[in-house]
Amino acid sequence: MSEKKKGKLSPVIDYKKHEDPFSKGVAFCPGCGLELLIRFIPQVMGNDIVMTGTPSCSAPVLLGQNNQSWHSLSYFGTLMTGAAANATGLVRYYNRAGIDNTVVCFNGDGTAADIGFGNMSGAAERNEPFIYICYDNEGYMNTGIQKSGTTPYGASTTTTPVAKGSRGKNLRRMNLALKMAMSKIPYAATATLSDLGDLAKKLLKAKEMKKNGFCFLHVFAPCPTGWGYDPAMTVEVCRRAVKTNYFPLWEAENGKIRMTKTVNKPKPVEHYMEPIKKFKHLDDNDRAILQEDVDYELCMLGGLSILEKECVLPEAAD
Amino acid sequence: MSKNTYFKHEGPWSDANDPLMCSDTGDWRTKRPIVDKDKCIFCGFCQIYCPVQVMEMVGDSHFEADLGFCKGCGICAQECPKQAITMVSEGEFVS
Repeated sequence: MSEKKKGKLSPVIDYKKHEDPFSKGVAFCPGCGLELLIRFIPQVMGNDIVMTGTPSCSAPVLLGQNNQSWHSLSYFGTLMTGAAANATGLVRYYNRAGIDNTVVCFNGDGTAADIGFGNMSGAAERNEPFIYICYDNEGYMNTGIQKSGTTPYGASTTTTPVAKGSRGKNLRRMNLALKMAMSKIPYAATATLSDLGDLAKKLLKAKEMKKNGFCFLHVFAPCPTGWGYDPAMTVEVCRRAVKTNYFPLWEAENGKIRMTKTVNKPKPVEHYMEPIKKFKHLDDNDRAILQEDVDYELCMLGGLSILEKECVLPEAAD
Repeated sequence: MSKNTYFKHEGPWSDANDPLMCSDTGDWRTKRPIVDKDKCIFCGFCQIYCPVQVMEMVGDSHFEADLGFCKGCGICAQECPKQAITMVSEGEFVS
């Protein structure tokens, strides 16, 4: 065999210390960001974690079908209205029984941002010791691509279609991770699939910080079926979201925000929107609103991350 | 008593001792990834980014997709830094 130039094996492979608990052929769409994430979590955190979750894209696989299971993890299926409350119950049971394990509440953005937000907020306030992972595909993808609280401005979904009298979602998205960081929980972070090393570090850190209380991870997981882009672009879309500051990567310990990746020359948000069909109809005016939204959130993050050092309040204008 | 056999385990879907359910996702594929062994620098990007985790190491020379389960999304070809993976239409392999 002829000699050839060899690169260095990606360091992410070293983070995958455990076996993949899922069977090979599971029913996710080709190019699904969620599938990449859901196989990555137990490979990094260990196969002894207990997962809870709600009806979502993840449920058909995690819950199993026809008396059979797609994976060998422990899973507890709950309703969307009580996701965090059920995880609280599990954690309290394990604490009382003296069993030390990691409970991961794995939900979509519909549960985390809209339907189950109330009890998640409550669990954060009570500082229950479990990890809440929200995979953000910006909509209710499993039920047929309806809009959710994290759907960005202008995005076309089945409940905010591009038709007569409607040009996509006319509301701005909420920043769920920042909301949770403001709850002053021990650990809150954002991560995405283009930077798996960063995601693995945050998962391990959450597993470590879990003994202090509630940990929240917001993972950006694009959906090729719902957003209308080529399935091959899933990781590229994540990368573009980070490069345009559409989805900045940061972590917050006890409410103190620290950026984990800073982008020196951010590209305009058009660069992120270009391969995605749900933004195809937007005109310059709409793009400006989305750009303003992105700049505003980044500005807010920047402001919050210097709070630690020096705090100068702006003078009151009377 | 009851002849119900569904709940003999802890929960109806929670027994991992049974063989895991596994669909034949390989037949969803319309394009298959072909790895150019000479161009491959063994960086492992295709393996870490593959959603189905089907890219397998062949010794320590290159990666090869398990075509039984590869869904043909093409992320490996998109992410390969050396463009060593090409997506070839399944039609060319029909005999």
